[in-house]
Amino acid sequence: MIQIESVSKMFKEGFRGRKVQALQDLALSVAQGEVFGFLGPNGAGKSTTIKILINLIFPDTGQASINGLDVRDKETRRHVGYLPENPYFYDYLTAEELLWFGGRAAGLSSRLVRERSETLLHKVDLYNARKRPLRTYSKGMVQRAGLALALIHDPQVVILDEPMSGLDPIGRKMVGDLIVELKGEGKTVFFSSHILADIERFCDRYGIIVSGRLRRVERVEELLASQLTLEQVFLDEVEKASEGVMS
Amino acid sequence: MNLWPVAAVTFKEGIRNRAIYGISLFALLFLVASQLVSGMIMQDVGKVVVDMALSTVSFSGLLLVLFVGINLMAKDLDRRTIYMVLSRPISRSQYLFGKFLGMALLIITTVALVGFFAVAAIVLTKLRFPNFFGQFTWWLVFLSIAYTTLSLILLTALSFLFASLVSTSFITLVLTICSYLIGHAISDVKALVETPQAVGIQVAPLTVKLVQGAYYFFPNLSLFDIKTQAAHGLAVPLASICWTVVYGLGYTAIVMILASLIFSKREFP
Repeated sequence: MIQIESVSKMFKEGFRGRKVQALQDLALSVAQGEVFGFLGPNGAGKSTTIKILINLIFPDTGQASINGLDVRDKETRRHVGYLPENPYFYDYLTAEELLWFGGRAAGLSSRLVRERSETLLHKVDLYNARKRPLRTYSKGMVQRAGLALALIHDPQVVILDEPMSGLDPIGRKMVGDLIVELKGEGKTVFFSSHILADIERFCDRYGIIVSGRLRRVERVEELLASQLTLEQVFLDEVEKASEGVMS
Repeated sequence: MNLWPVAAVTFKEGIRNRAIYGISLFALLFLVASQLVSGMIMQDVGKVVVDMALSTVSFSGLLLVLFVGINLMAKDLDRRTIYMVLSRPISRSQYLFGKFLGMALLIITTVALVGFFAVAAIVLTKLRFPNFFGQFTWWLVFLSIAYTTLSLILLTALSFLFASLVSTSFITLVLTICSYLIGHAISDVKALVETPQAVGIQVAPLTVKLVQGAYYFFPNLSLFDIKTQAAHGLAVPLASICWTVVYGLGYTAIVMILASLIFSKREFP
């Protein structure tokens, strides 16, 4: 499970070091086997939260843990799969070599890496392109290679930052099917998205973050029962945030 | 430590970089040129060819460190390919040491390739003009190539330290070039400012202190340059070889430990 406790993060921007509060007292927990959708406008703090979970940046205050281990412990990431927003990989590596790296770095045996790599490459429809350098891939193909990399070590927790971005409808369906499959396997999925329909379709719960503050967390069933659309709720929260009204 | 996966992808990414082909081609052309030159001068042919061949090896290696090595690290930071590494159970220090190991393998491979061309050029010249190779010994040629490799690995460690400190690859490149130039000149400059009367100049005491400080701060890269000894067939004492190797490895280790301490505090927003 994912546990975020009172996390705040401030960045300094520009030459003058103007301070920007990226996250403010964020508290959130996602249970094992749950699919959680993280929603927010651009610059709201979604990627910052995710980068704290992957230990790419450090919180100023508070702490985060995954499966009971502090995210600063590298062993946490043995059980975490991560797809960055607009992933970039090494130009001259092939998809097969990328997955070899991911699997071996997570401590998998060469035989297991080969087996899982073949399965995943079929799943993300890159098997025929597996020996081509990644620089020859389209944006959608890179995104799919990134998904396979995130899943190569069969992680318990999967964190996806805008997994649908850059994908065509077929690619989006593939990602959707993957999320459903992961849920079926009892994995925890935490993903950020701008696409409201995806949140409604795949998530058990969702959270809305605006200007670094988590403004609402609720079950998708509750939303559906309330007769409101996610779009209405989302726009309402953004408006309330801009007026300085607390949820 | 989980270094091998990072080292392996670094090596593969580096060896497939087109810049490597360019560097190898440059080396080949330069060595072909050395053959033409040796046919024209008819004086100290052996010394000229050995010097040209070894200079080609060290210059190719320098191009490799500056334009492939720094770029490999910079791309990771600029284009955020580092995310794919750090999202694994790999610490920042392991990433840095893995990257360094991959780069060291790349240097060894490239120097071996260019060194092979260099040896071939010397063999050809020796066959054509055996009379000019009286003092020549292969041992010094191979020792010079090994020294070059060690100095390039040391320079790579320095570039890693700079990359850990600054955020743009251009500054890393400038600092690495400055260190290279200072590293090669510092020994001579120190000797000059410590005995200015030998050349009839005056040096302020502060300048002497600054140069002495720089001498202990920057690597003394001239230690690894034995091209002249190799060209003239001058013996290099065993104690000097041992000291140079210990100095090179020790300096590299200290720089890498420092780089990893700094890098482990770095964020990647």
